[in-house]
Order: sequence, then structure tokens, then C-alpha cells
Amino acid sequence: MDLMGDLKALGLLVRWDLTRMWRRRMFIAMRVIWFTVQVSVFGLALSAMVRFRGVVAHSIDYYHFYLFGVYTSMLFSISVSNAYEVAEEFEEGIIEYHLSLPIKRSILSTGRALGGGIAAFIFTLPMYAIVLTLLGWGSPLALFASLIAALIFSVGVVGLVLSIVLSVKSGDATDILFGIIDAIIIRLSTIFYPAVVLAKIAPYYYAALANPISHFVDLLRTLFFFEEYKILAVTDPLLMGCYLLGFAAGLVSTAIYIVERKLEGGGWR
Amino acid sequence: MAAVKIVNFVKRFGEVTAVNNLNLEIYEGEIFGLLGPNGSGKSTTLLTIATVYKPTSGDIYVFEHSVSREGDTVRKFVGIAFQEPKAMWVDTPYELLLWHAMIVGYTSHEAKNVVKETMERLNLWEHRKKQFYQLSGGTRKKLEIAKVMIQRPRLAIFDEPTAQVDVITKHALWDVVREMRDNGSTVIVATNDMFEAEKICERIAIMYRGELRTLGSVKELKDQVPGGDVVEVSFEGDREEAKDALLKLDGIGRYMLGNDKIVAYLNKGEERAAEIVSALMSAGIKVKRIMVQEPTLDDVFFYFTGARLGEG
Repeated sequence: MDLMGDLKALGLLVRWDLTRMWRRRMFIAMRVIWFTVQVSVFGLALSAMVRFRGVVAHSIDYYHFYLFGVYTSMLFSISVSNAYEVAEEFEEGIIEYHLSLPIKRSILSTGRALGGGIAAFIFTLPMYAIVLTLLGWGSPLALFASLIAALIFSVGVVGLVLSIVLSVKSGDATDILFGIIDAIIIRLSTIFYPAVVLAKIAPYYYAALANPISHFVDLLRTLFFFEEYKILAVTDPLLMGCYLLGFAAGLVSTAIYIVERKLEGGGWR
Repeated sequence: MAAVKIVNFVKRFGEVTAVNNLNLEIYEGEIFGLLGPNGSGKSTTLLTIATVYKPTSGDIYVFEHSVSREGDTVRKFVGIAFQEPKAMWVDTPYELLLWHAMIVGYTSHEAKNVVKETMERLNLWEHRKKQFYQLSGGTRKKLEIAKVMIQRPRLAIFDEPTAQVDVITKHALWDVVREMRDNGSTVIVATNDMFEAEKICERIAIMYRGELRTLGSVKELKDQVPGGDVVEVSFEGDREEAKDALLKLDGIGRYMLGNDKIVAYLNKGEERAAEIVSALMSAGIKVKRIMVQEPTLDDVFFYFTGARLGEG
């Protein structure tokens, strides 16, 4: 197939995931409402508590810190929820159908990673809009860079999800594994606790440093509140951006390798 | 040129050998039948041709391209209607087929036209907005077949296309299969329905327990059954005694024994019918009915596989 054909197939695979997301629009609306309550009621209460107890320096507003954290955890969870969708597709034999289509396997895996990533990104856009409404929209450059970073991050997470689900080929293993990943990886990051606080516990700190979630959330924070967070972030923004790019490229490449070399129909448990 | 050439093909799933050392050729422009009971390796073979499975050893060539090494090229030639229709429960037929049409190469405008035309041809248009879970088994099957009709591949594969389908639809789908062949596709049909195989296939391979048992046209296969005639006797009485009585007769080369039925292959069946009845009655077996006929494809299947009547 020529380049135009490959691009068309890529577009259609992205559309496949977007169609599935659109069917969950009521669910998305409910999540957005819950998110609004979370950040406006509980988030404010939590920040007031932190301020009252003098946990963080006066120059830092924990609410800023918290809002980016809760958005990141939402984006990560929604991207991870693709695992259950892919598992369901495996059970229904959709993967076999996709494997039989006249498209390159590399296009199939890239398309699904991009599609899942874009779907998760769009799913969480209303929540991001709420966060930015509460925090201020920042400069257009910060806004643009943060949206690109969010898209790259969610594509990387979906690449991870595809690599694992298509390797384990088990509905039960998918449920357990991604339950654990969703719960632990978020906690082993700087989503809710700054790196300087985690530094007191070495394993925790190094896990957070290696964790792409930490790089994404701290990148968002420094993009909008550089002066406030430059000393709290895991590293400088450029390195965090490079780390995210490497994370997404690495995991999408792994997904391509698995689909191209290892994956075949059947064998689903 | 062979449309499909299968060379020493073996497929294992863990400890289970699904297909064992299969060798056969499917010619361009024919309707080829893969006949066998459930678990005989038909679907595994078809899914490997469609590059959904990878061979454990050996290889399959589709229009001279290896499924192991040139999967991307092979998929350009192949369209498959799966045994189990593939869709999520919330999918609607129109959306599914539209997406399928575009991914196999149609522009958006062309896709709309070809989908409408195909859905009308298969009486699917009225179901276009229903969700997949609301469709009957037969309608789901038609949806799967519509994908291949839309794709118009050089090699069209139908895995049990008429299972769960009513008689009228069955005949309509057979017409579709023939039409695809007439329009230039090579067609492979997997089925466990002997009548279907006889009705639409030009050549047939019989598979059983992962192995090829025989291959040829329907006439060639029937001619291979020794004796030429099939005598079927329905009886009341002990089946072992019936068997013993039958085997005492000369010229009974092969037989199959059911609980109340015995099928024997022999020459001059009409002349020997009375002799068989007499032998059974002498053994205290009550003969309810006797029929003498030419071998059917069922007989061919039982002859080449050695399967027993009623074996699942």
C-alpha cells in the first residue's frame, strides 16, 4: 500500500477508537461532572487543609499542584481503561478481524495506539478546560505545549497498554494487572506528592523519578507556574519533554514489534 | 498458477496439534471446499491463509507470496468471512460495513454506494441502524459475508458461511459465492455440511483430526469409495450381533455401525440386499428398513475418515 493508503488506514483506525469513545459520551459527561465536584469542592478543602497545617512553603499554592495532579491521574486512568476495551475486543474476535485486514501490521498497531491516545486525550479535554478555568489559561504557548504533551503522554500509555494486553492475552490477567498498574504507578509518582518530599524515601523517590507520570505532571506545572515549581519538579522542562517523547516512541515501537512479530489470533484466555 | 499452495503446514497450539503436515493446492478461479467436522483444522488453515495465525512449521503461499514472510502482501489479496461474526455488541451494521469498505480501499463516497448496494442485495438494509446484539444469527452471518462481497478480493474465504442460516438465505448465499467466482475471485468455503459442499464446490478436501484425508472433485471422491453401492439397514436388536451377522457375508469390505443402523459398502448392492436381510433375520435381528443407493458425500466422508456414525 502506498503512503496515502497507509495514512488513510491510520486515520480510519483512529476513527475506530473515536467512534467507541463517542458511544460512551454519557459516561464521559458523568465523569466530567464528578471531576468538577472533585476539584472544586474536595480539592479546595484539601488545599485549605494543607495551607492551614503549613505543609508547603508560602510561595507555593498546593491547589495549583493538586489540580494538575488530579487531571494527570484522570488522563492516565482513562488511557489505561483502553486495556479493558482491547481485552473485550479480543474476546469478541475483533483483533482477528483487524489482523485479517489489508493493512500493514505496523499501521495497525500505530493506528490503535494513536486512536486510543487521542480518544483518551479528547475524553479528558473538558476536565482540562475546568482545571485551566480554575487556574487561569496561561500563555498560548504554555497551553499549546501542554496539550501536545498530554497527547504524547496518552499515546505512550496506550502503547504500554497494547503491548501488555496483546502479550498476556488474558482477560483475567488484564483486569488484575491494570488494576495494579493504575493504583501503584499513580502513587509512585509526583502526582500528589512533590519530589522534594519523596526524596526522604529513596526507593519511592527513584521510582517517581523514573515514572513518566511524574515527568508529565511536573511538565504541566512548570509550563504554567514555572517560578513556583522550578525547584519542585523532577527535572527541567526540556528534559521532561524529551522523556515523554522517548516514553511514547519506545512504547509505540514495542507495540508495533509485538503486533508485527508476535501477535496472532486465538489463544485468548 | 495456484491461488493457494500449502506446503507441509503444521499448526500447534501448545500441546494440541490443530493441523498436521497439510499439503494441497487450490487453483485460481475455482470454488474449493474444505470439508470436515468441528475441530478438524479447517478454520485454523483458513485463518493462517488470512495471516491471522502464523504457521508453526511449513508455509502457505497465496498467489506465490508466503504468509510467513510476506503477510502484508498476502492480505492485499485475501478477504475472509469468519465463522463467528466479528463485531462489538453496540456496533451497527451500516457503520461496520462503511468502515470496512473504507479500510479495504474505497473512498468515502464509493463506500456509501457499495455498502448500500451490498446491504440491499443481502436484505440487510432494513437492519442497518440496529445494534449488533439485536441481530439474529443469520443476519449476523450475512453481515460477515457482506464484508467479503464489498472487498471483492482475489481470494475470498468463507468459514461455514451458512451455519445458522435459513434455507432461503442459504441458497442466496450460495449464489453469492458462485457470483464471486464468476467475477474472478478464487473461493474457499469451509463447511461441515456435505450437501453444501456438493452443491457449490468444484473440488473438495476432506480434513479430519488436523489431517488431509482425501482431495478431488465430488465425482472423483465418490468413485473412490469401494463397492460403489451403499446399503443402509435400519434394525431393532443387538448391534454387535447385527455386525457379526453382516461380517459373515462375503464382499463386505467396509461398514459403519450405529445404534439402530448399519451402513455397508459393497458391489451389486441391489442384488445382495435380500441376502443381507436374510442374514440379519437369521441372527434374530428385526429389519425395519433397507435402502440401496449410490454413495453420497456423507459416505465419502465416513469412508475416508473412518469416523463412526454419531461421532461428534
